[in-house]
Amino acid sequence: MSRVLRAAVVIALASLVVVLVLAFRRAPTDIKTGTVGRPAAAFTLQQLDGAGTWSSSNAQGKVVVVNFFASWCLPCKEENPALVRVYERYRASDVVFVGVLYQDSRDSGLRYVRDNGVVWPTMSDDDGRVAFSYGVFGIPETFFVGGDGVIAGRHIGPIDEATLIRGIECLRRSPTGGDCLRASAR
Amino acid sequence: MNSATRARLAAPRVVLVMALVAIAVAIVWSARPHAETQAERVDRITAELRCVVCQGLSVKDSPSESARQMRDLVAQRVAEGRSDDQIRDEFRASYGDWVVLAPPLASWSGLVWLVPLAALALGTLVALGRIRPAPAVAREPAPADVAALRERAAREEALDLPVDAR
Amino acid sequence: MITWADLGSAALRAALPLAIWGSGAAAYAAAKRDGRALASSRWAALLVLVLVGLAIFAMEGALVTHDFSIQYVAQNNARETPLFFTVISLWAALEGSILLWTLILAGATAYVAWRGARELPRLSTVALAVLLGMVAFFCLLITTPAADPFVRIDPVADGSGPNPLLQNHPLMALHPPLLYLGYVLFSVPFAYAIASLILGEGGDRWLVATRRFALVSWGLLGVGIVAGSWWSYAVLGWGGYWAWDPVENAAIMPWLVATAYLHSVMVEEKRRLLRTWNLSLVIATFALTILGTFLTRSGVVNSVHAFTQSALGPMLLGYLVAIVVLSVGLLLWRMPRLADMGGIGAPLSREAVFLFQNVVFVAATLTVLLGTLYPLIAEAISGAQLSIGRPYFDRVEVPLALALLFLMGIGPQLPWHGASRATLERQFTTPVLAAAAAAVLAVMVGVGGAFPVLTYALAAFVAATVAQEFARGIRARRVLHGEAPADAFVSLIRRSGRRYGGYVVHLGIVVIAVAVATSQAGKIEVERTLRQGDVMRVGEYDIHFTGLRPVSEPQADKVLALLAASAPGATTDLRTVTASLVFYPNSTQAVGSPGVAPGPRDDIYTILAAYDAESFSWATIRVLVIPLVSWIWLGGAIVGIGAVIAALPPPRQRAVVAGPRRVPLSRHAAATTSQAVPTPPAARSREARSGDTSRPDVTRPDGVEP
Repeated sequence: MSRVLRAAVVIALASLVVVLVLAFRRAPTDIKTGTVGRPAAAFTLQQLDGAGTWSSSNAQGKVVVVNFFASWCLPCKEENPALVRVYERYRASDVVFVGVLYQDSRDSGLRYVRDNGVVWPTMSDDDGRVAFSYGVFGIPETFFVGGDGVIAGRHIGPIDEATLIRGIECLRRSPTGGDCLRASAR
Repeated sequence: MNSATRARLAAPRVVLVMALVAIAVAIVWSARPHAETQAERVDRITAELRCVVCQGLSVKDSPSESARQMRDLVAQRVAEGRSDDQIRDEFRASYGDWVVLAPPLASWSGLVWLVPLAALALGTLVALGRIRPAPAVAREPAPADVAALRERAAREEALDLPVDAR
Repeated sequence: MITWADLGSAALRAALPLAIWGSGAAAYAAAKRDGRALASSRWAALLVLVLVGLAIFAMEGALVTHDFSIQYVAQNNARETPLFFTVISLWAALEGSILLWTLILAGATAYVAWRGARELPRLSTVALAVLLGMVAFFCLLITTPAADPFVRIDPVADGSGPNPLLQNHPLMALHPPLLYLGYVLFSVPFAYAIASLILGEGGDRWLVATRRFALVSWGLLGVGIVAGSWWSYAVLGWGGYWAWDPVENAAIMPWLVATAYLHSVMVEEKRRLLRTWNLSLVIATFALTILGTFLTRSGVVNSVHAFTQSALGPMLLGYLVAIVVLSVGLLLWRMPRLADMGGIGAPLSREAVFLFQNVVFVAATLTVLLGTLYPLIAEAISGAQLSIGRPYFDRVEVPLALALLFLMGIGPQLPWHGASRATLERQFTTPVLAAAAAAVLAVMVGVGGAFPVLTYALAAFVAATVAQEFARGIRARRVLHGEAPADAFVSLIRRSGRRYGGYVVHLGIVVIAVAVATSQAGKIEVERTLRQGDVMRVGEYDIHFTGLRPVSEPQADKVLALLAASAPGATTDLRTVTASLVFYPNSTQAVGSPGVAPGPRDDIYTILAAYDAESFSWATIRVLVIPLVSWIWLGGAIVGIGAVIAALPPPRQRAVVAGPRRVPLSRHAAATTSQAVPTPPAARSREARSGDTSRPDVTRPDGVEP
């Protein structure tokens, strides 16, 4: 085996080891965002309570919190009280809360909404297109959209009060969100 | 050799050649391109997209609800006449490159497609290099070689072992 | 009162120092030729096995008695879990799996220690030291929080039960143990290879001593992989059996390299060539088994088998790095002594074909390795997240597999040292004709796509060569011994088990290749939403949807979709099939359980994708008709049978042989190098007397053939 080949093998093995060690720096649940920083897709959906349609243009120029949920999702139920509390806090302001039902029947969704005190507009994403346009990986997932209509941040997994407030305040201060919002997951 | 022997040897050779030709024709014939139906096109595109809620399955393979919705979306886009790249880009806009199950050829990551070729080529070169025809005339070995050979034989025979029957 | 946890913990904590002691004693015994140190090391090996066995007994006892004061039991068992799944949940999760690994390793080590009854030759002694060192490492793993199975917690009322996917199929009893046996038993050839390098004798003793171990471990790994595929097919509910999932890749990489090794070993035995290469292959196979375990257990790649992340990762990585550095270092150091005598002369010879086959296997393994690791590499370098999945692996590995099929056909047919043109024509006329017939038939039947047709042609080619070899062998035995064909067949298998077992393995691979090609190319898939009483047409079957039925069982609630398959238009049912969605109490989403009706021609595979939860009026059913998929499992069984045939020792010779038959190396070397090397008269007379103990380094014939 020539010296060159020997050296090549040693280098290849060493790089393999380096790669594997570097792999530890990465948490497998850390998924990079695709849609953060892009304009939120416009959508119009039927509301769950039968009060007609809700269109994303209703919230134009305002800070929007979009929460994807379903009745079969236990963590959604866990995060709901936090959502309710923060909603109440910003009820008088022009922050808009929107709930989008994901992969669930309207009846189950409506029952969930009624049973859990969800009073902000909720609608059903029947064909999943809105979820795709936002880049939803799984629920619960919450998106923060700034006044300029750009998705400034997302949170995968059940969200807590502190994170919600931080996101909203950040967007109220600077409509473009800037550096105060990043993707987060729990 | 006389003509009778030549004829006798030629017959199986002809058969062999005909058989090889038949195989080649069969392969080329089965590889002929046919017009892809819309359903096949949807299948092809969804086979290359990753189901976002599964662990590595393609949208085509996964029975999950998300995958079905993605398939419906792809089918609709195909019916609308979008190109393969446009459809893939729509998903990449939402989920990043992660959602495509193999790196495109025309990118830095596309180099992974070359890995098997490079490995084969390199290996074949090394292998061919080791196949050296034996010299026609046996040389008389140098005394140093003989001594080394003897020393080695002695070392190996030092640990005795019944040789396997085969 | 001694609890199960006390027993198990104590046993493992006693095993660790014993293993370290044993390893040191064996090393000392080899260095100083001290018989007492050797004896103490052998007893240590046995004792370690007993202690680890005791720990396994303690864990099983805890599982069966639902002792929820042990964290492992609380996480992997529940009161409602049936006894069968309780017992096999020993290997349901990380800690138990590592414990099982340790048991198998300790067993193999004890076997090596005690196989050579009274004394142990130097090679085996050093190998024992290496093996005990490995056992010590694994004992360390299972006594640290990284993988300690006996971690205690406050007792809970009821456990969470095993992962839902692991408690609905009996194959869960087979797949992990087979796989682990395959992985772990490869430690023995590796240990012998390292011993050979340490001792620096540059010979082939290590190879012949562990040939059967390598074959058995290869066979078990192969069958374990097929069992895993079958399990995945029957349980995961997507209709496929191989997804190039990182954990699947982790298992197949050592198997590919081990297959290359088994073949190039024959070149070393016959022609004394490729020594360095064979040592590298053994090291690579073993390193890949550790890498595979690391990838599976450390959580650095996501996978279907998503096991929990733990501190195990860094420890395994450290172990892997140590092994690679030490073995490669030893190999580089000893390489001058491993120079080949002679070379491969002709490109059309068996050894050349084996060499090319090795190249293809290694290329295939490198591709799988890089494909699996590339997302990690890309993310580490540039932060980009990408995926590499089926579209890449299928496209790249299928041509390599076809190349291997081709080489599999020509390799055994070519003689050693080279073949003449006349030989080639004589050997290959029938197989090529068979291939042509298969190709033409396939096209006429309407098989679409070049790859299936090529696969059928190559499969026919290989099958014809195997049939030819069997026919020749039977004919030869009839002529020489007058045996009837059936007796001749049995004699062939028993006397030349290695050769004919190998042919049977090749046949098994052919069956798998044909089954895989057909099941991929001919798969028909239809998904439809049906109401009760509806019928959907899938391929040549009518699938009747009888209705949905909810069922409550002690460990889970299920919703069953009752289906029946019949010939088109018929109302007499052929087969009933039930797909279901299972709701376990501790999981938020349902787990799909496919309904499979296997058959010799095709399997009907049904999945309940969605249903009306309110009134059970409709269900979305996906049905696949997959041709020949059951033949894959059959092919796997044939490969296993072939491995058994090859591993069986030949029947004792009738004639009495005076002492061990030895081929004097000097004469053999002369034959291969075509150089006249005179054997010194002194050496020759020593050959005549067997078992001469006046020479250094001789202890006893090293007969560690398992």
